Amino acid sequence: MSEMTSIKTGKRPEEVSRSPSEWIRQNLFSNIPNTILTIIFGIFTLYAIRGILGFVLSGERRWEAVATNMRLLMAQGYPANQFVRVWFTLGCLMVLTGLSLAIWSGKGRLSVKKISNWVMSTGLGLAVFAALAPISASSRLGWVIAGALLIAGGLGLWQRAKNKTTETLHTIPTVPFSFGFLGILVLSLWVVPFGHYAFTNGELVAETGRTVAMSTKLPFTVMWLLLVGTYCLTNLVRESLPIAQAKACLVGLWLLSPFILNWIVLRDPDFDYGHIVSTDIPLAALFIFVGGGILFMLAKPSLGEIGRLTAIALLIFGVFNWVAAFFGWYPMLQKVRISFVLLALAALIAPNFAADRKTRLKFVTGWAILILISHWLITAVNSPSTLELQGPTYLGGFSLTLFVAILTLLLSFPLGVLLALGRTSSMPIARVLCTGYIESIRGVPLITILFFFSNILPLFLPQGMEIAELAAIVTGYTLFSAAYLAENVRGGLQSVMRGQYEAADAIGLTTSQRTGFIVLPQALRVSIPPLVGQAIGVFKETSLVAIIGAYDILRIANNVVPAQTEFLGVKREGLLLVSVIYFIVAFSMSKYSQRLEERVGLGER
Amino acid sequence: MSTEAANTNRADMIVCENVDKWYGDFQALKDVSATIAEQEVVVVLGPSGSGKSTLIRCINRLEAHQQGTIIVDGVELTNDLRNIEKIRSEVGMVFQQFNLFPHLSVIDNVTLAPKWVRKMPKAAAEKKAEELLEMVGIPEQAEKYPGQLSGGQQQRVAIARALAMEPRIMLFDEPTSALDPEMIKEVLDVMKDLAHGGMTMMVVTHEMGFAREVADRIIFMESGEIVEVGTPEHFFTNPTEDRTKLFLSQIL
Ligand SMILES: Nc1ncnc2c1ncn2[C@@H]1O[C@H](COP(=O)(O)OP(=O)(O)O)[C@@H](O)[C@H]1O
Ligand SMILES: [Mg+2]
Repeated sequence: MSEMTSIKTGKRPEEVSRSPSEWIRQNLFSNIPNTILTIIFGIFTLYAIRGILGFVLSGERRWEAVATNMRLLMAQGYPANQFVRVWFTLGCLMVLTGLSLAIWSGKGRLSVKKISNWVMSTGLGLAVFAALAPISASSRLGWVIAGALLIAGGLGLWQRAKNKTTETLHTIPTVPFSFGFLGILVLSLWVVPFGHYAFTNGELVAETGRTVAMSTKLPFTVMWLLLVGTYCLTNLVRESLPIAQAKACLVGLWLLSPFILNWIVLRDPDFDYGHIVSTDIPLAALFIFVGGGILFMLAKPSLGEIGRLTAIALLIFGVFNWVAAFFGWYPMLQKVRISFVLLALAALIAPNFAADRKTRLKFVTGWAILILISHWLITAVNSPSTLELQGPTYLGGFSLTLFVAILTLLLSFPLGVLLALGRTSSMPIARVLCTGYIESIRGVPLITILFFFSNILPLFLPQGMEIAELAAIVTGYTLFSAAYLAENVRGGLQSVMRGQYEAADAIGLTTSQRTGFIVLPQALRVSIPPLVGQAIGVFKETSLVAIIGAYDILRIANNVVPAQTEFLGVKREGLLLVSVIYFIVAFSMSKYSQRLEERVGLGER
Repeated sequence: MSTEAANTNRADMIVCENVDKWYGDFQALKDVSATIAEQEVVVVLGPSGSGKSTLIRCINRLEAHQQGTIIVDGVELTNDLRNIEKIRSEVGMVFQQFNLFPHLSVIDNVTLAPKWVRKMPKAAAEKKAEELLEMVGIPEQAEKYPGQLSGGQQQRVAIARALAMEPRIMLFDEPTSALDPEMIKEVLDVMKDLAHGGMTMMVVTHEMGFAREVADRIIFMESGEIVEVGTPEHFFTNPTEDRTKLFLSQIL
């Protein structure tokens, strides 16, 4: 018997690799109807491509409008003398990316065949371009030759890969490949004459036939060097690093980075040190020591029921402060209100750390870090900015789009999960509150909520407290998107089997442990596709912030550039660029979600 | 193995007195009284829908009874959360459908509760889990996920997961009913080892061989009532109740 199976379990047969021409024959021209379809669609596609190329390359197009305003489109009126802050922000993100790639040791490998396919497709694309684009005969010939060379190169690669059997020759690691690709792009800034277009002291400068300005190519080169450098350096010392801690640390940095980079680096708060010493530091200390003391007591293993009651009392008090703020019963710093809610939430999870002194001290340390970071951020948000602004917000253009989307997603995700849990919980009050919240938000258009937060909310705030425009936008948008995320998560929660709850109960997990370790992980896996759909929606709908006066990339392309005297009425170029940018980001998100689904093995069980 | 006389000296681990349980208007347990002593192995038999699952699920409060008292290891089961948590860490349960956590590896399935309920250090919990996996005969599968294991292996992981909490009582609700025939034995063998090791066990099963060989006593239930209680010898050779005889004639 066992001999039989050992004979049968040989090596899995290699997938038969087909040459490109075979592939085309089998997939596109396999039978007569298929051939007819291929031809019809082929003609259709070619017409469409010709139309687009005609639009893009038409003599009427003024692409220099886009080139000149690139900085405006990306970062709007960010003060030129402080622009280094924008590059610093990007640089930080590059360093984080490099660190993460090295720590998580991106082991992905690209098959050479795939690359050869890409090269061949690019060559084919160039050939089609040469055939259809309205260009002179000589440059047409140039493009045809380039396309033919690429196709030949791709075929050559494919032939080589076909005969290689070992994995290492078959594939190349993805990370260095991507670095190389990005490197070529950066290099092209130094050698290809893209031309130099800018407004210098209000004068339009347009120099064709030279490479882009130093203020563009130098920073991008630095970014590339930062990315690759961090990656290589980290890889050198990777062996001697405590990997688990490094990973936790990096996740924390990633989560914090949008807040810190936005409110500290980009906004450059003008701290009022007198106030900080007299009020902010004592407050933080109070919450760290008194709050920490309370939490330390609450995590005592022997405490039992009193702990739960204290936590619930704290929660009621925390929520009551907000109700009081709404009606203006008594003044209280916003920071204090937020801290009380945080304290209540920490008190609720305290029993999970009920163990020896060391565990409890760890818990209290976590609390201290949370208070330090949140108080620092709130102070920063509430301090005026040093920037001399030209518009209502210090961010604009694509950076506004990105920051609003990222902050909204980061904040609304936990809120949405909490709402979904509340809506499905067995506590009637939580259920009614969460259901009411979700349903009422979903009944109101986003624009209304954004109007409310930018115009009406400031009226409710206690005297002397202002909320920066961007914070108002993000708050309103977060509350809106959390309601939708909550519904997606709820769908996932419903898919978790009853037996999972019972098994978790039977091994003695508490309700919060059951939720955190068993129910949520499974529910979130199922919710990945709708959650990513929602995330893409959040990203695209940031364009609505234009309605309350902020300048996002769409508004700049649609209203600002066409109003410049040099480019009066030049709108289509900018809009096409904006569509392409939106598409690239949304498409990458959707691709990433597919990979994520594969990674967590969705649909495998 | 253990005689009636020996049992009387042992402490009572589970005491049910006049327990009633309704699902809406339907009464699933009717005036059920039973006592299980320390180290005793009791097999619960009965036709489908007779309330066997309901009874053992009441014992670790997966279901709440409405009348009567249930005392487990000296603690009465009420709505008091602390008692329930205490009981659940003392009573292990194995389900018909395994109910392993599909998103956690085998080792994580087994170490989760010791780490978070017993607050055991990670290394100690993992060492313990490895011993348990060794005991149930699958030490080499620790890093796999439940979906990659056969049914019999999954059920043995489920037993290891329950044992990791070092329970004083184990409840089994038809542990072999969802298994292919060739896998039933490997699970029953693990249960037999447990019984010989002195674990207090309450087992709902249709495996008559197991009942005959391992059980100290057999409880026979029908329509929510306990019809007859006795040693396997008494039960399989000269049962007193007509309903028991009818049941045995149908399955033997
Ligand atoms: N959650 C429930 N709601 C309503 N009725 C139930 C529920 N669980 C079990 N029952 C009913 O209680 C009776 C006993 O069920 P159960 O204890 O599962 O029987 P057994 O395990 O002996 O087959 C059955 O008639 C079943 O239909
Ligand atoms: Mg049953």
